[in-house]
Amino acid sequence: MPADPTSDRRLVYLWGIAGHPELSPALQSLAADGWEVVVPKVPGFDGEAGFVAPDEYLDWLITFWDALDATGALPCPVVGASLGGMIAAELAALRPEAVTKLALLAPFGTADGDDPGLDLYAVPTAERMGHLFAKGVPAAFENRFGHLGAEEAPVARYLSDIASASLLWPFGEHGLAKRRHRLPADRLVLHGELDELIPLPTARRWGDVQVVAGAGHLLEWDAPDEVAAALRAFLAD
Amino acid sequence: MKMMWFHLMPYPDLPPDFNTKHRSVWVDIDPKLFDARVMAETYQTYIDQLVYAEDCGFDGICVNEHHNNGYGLMPSPNLIAAVLANRTSQAAITVLGNSVALYNPPIRVAEEFAMLDLMSNGRLIAGFPVGTTMDTTYSYSVNPSQLRPKYYEGIELIMKAWQAEEPFAFNGRFNQLRYVNPVPRPWQKPHPPVWIPGGGSVETWDFCAANDFVYGALTYYGYKMVRETVANYWARVEAHGKDDNPHRLAVTQFIGVADTDAEARKLYKEPAEYFFNRSLHVYPGFTDPPGYVTEASARARYKSQVRQAARAKQAKHDLTWDEMMENGYVVVGSPDTVREQLEEAARELRIGHLCAMLQFGNMSDELTRYNTKLFGDKVAPGLRSMFAEYPDPWWPTNAR
Repeated sequence: MPADPTSDRRLVYLWGIAGHPELSPALQSLAADGWEVVVPKVPGFDGEAGFVAPDEYLDWLITFWDALDATGALPCPVVGASLGGMIAAELAALRPEAVTKLALLAPFGTADGDDPGLDLYAVPTAERMGHLFAKGVPAAFENRFGHLGAEEAPVARYLSDIASASLLWPFGEHGLAKRRHRLPADRLVLHGELDELIPLPTARRWGDVQVVAGAGHLLEWDAPDEVAAALRAFLAD
Repeated sequence: MKMMWFHLMPYPDLPPDFNTKHRSVWVDIDPKLFDARVMAETYQTYIDQLVYAEDCGFDGICVNEHHNNGYGLMPSPNLIAAVLANRTSQAAITVLGNSVALYNPPIRVAEEFAMLDLMSNGRLIAGFPVGTTMDTTYSYSVNPSQLRPKYYEGIELIMKAWQAEEPFAFNGRFNQLRYVNPVPRPWQKPHPPVWIPGGGSVETWDFCAANDFVYGALTYYGYKMVRETVANYWARVEAHGKDDNPHRLAVTQFIGVADTDAEARKLYKEPAEYFFNRSLHVYPGFTDPPGYVTEASARARYKSQVRQAARAKQAKHDLTWDEMMENGYVVVGSPDTVREQLEEAARELRIGHLCAMLQFGNMSDELTRYNTKLFGDKVAPGLRSMFAEYPDPWWPTNAR
């Protein structure tokens, strides 16, 4: 959906490892405040047939850049969660003029070989989703492809997982630490206390981290009020 | 029909409580389980068994590649094949094979296979498996969505490198090489026979049919379990307008032969139970990385209720010996019983190359040799004439 060029309360949201079934409660809260939340449409994350993952990380970044530019939303604040946090950080590092404020929710992009966190893709498929949330899997994710029927739903889920896995294999390390000095100093970094995928010491590599109590990896679903409040304060600052 | 002797090279000494105390035989298996002295002896014993198979008249001897694995001790099958090339003189040296996407650059495979072909005087069969998820995406951390494109590109590069009469440059998606010029080139011209071991991927059937490569249905669960896979393969062969020469196909099968049916049931129970209920204890989380199978294969997999039900039962590792025999996981019996079953299987599936697995689990050297000799003397002669009316252009130039 193209952004409203007249809006001065516009932000881009980049979703996490499990895709984007609908706007998270935290972002819905911001939308209710009058924020225009722009979500670019990037091939592969909706389980569509015929998707082929780009060969390299750079190709993936270009795919995201194209999708972002197509929205017309940039420059504006960018909120990136999980996988989307990694992409948001890259955008801020490589195209700093495009990001007026940077908020990262449990971002991938750097990893610790001694403590890489849970390998989500080495968890049986049916159990993976349960490791992303500390308070149960939201219905939006449980039923995401249910309308496709019993045979096609698992295929669509499998295809949507390919996009995330191809970006994060084997543990979401793309050397972002080497580009961290290019990120805006006043960035917001949130991290779920119960995040199984990214250990807190790794999250602290991004700088000051606000730990959200009782939240898992996809914290904007687990703790929408706390995340929305933190974002609201950061964006108003 | 060609008779091959296939060795997985399992570690023979996993503890009886392995399944309850350990998560997986593959990928993150506890390295402390392996005793270096047992390993050293095991390699010597297994190599001797492969050499013995040639003495017993087998047409080929087979090795394969696994990583971080307790039932397959050959991360580098080429090392074993090099020894076999030196110690044998007639059997096809069948390497099933090298997982091309793991080699960077894959020209290394072209070089080593060419060396093996020369060292064996033209007896190499070159196998190119995609590789299991455990071997490739977990043990070697290859990005699953890149595995197959890298694999196909690697094979393209190797085939071109083997046949090129001049150095050339290769500018691929994943490999950029300014000077491709492997020395040596293989003995066999235009190249060694190429076999593609597979597990049931739609794309692999088409790849084999389109390129006239042998398809190897490498199953641990016997000929009955691959009926659907093999039928689908032959359908793709026909769709590509190719003939139905049975030598387009190789199938693995565990086999136990004894003087009588009763004796065979008694002798092979323990090694079969060791293999199926202990060695195949693979953590399910290592089997389904997103992107490993293509969309077409994913769709086929979710629709195959028969395979899903069978897999669920196999994954429990509580198979009884009767189930293993009844379902054809192991073909067991007197020479006549075994020959009859294999003949029926070969006719039904059109198996031109039978990869007989006559050592499995913790089978002793003595029993392995007994099994091998009995098969060679009393089973193989009754099968060898099958499909003799068909040529076998997928057989090495200088193998028996």
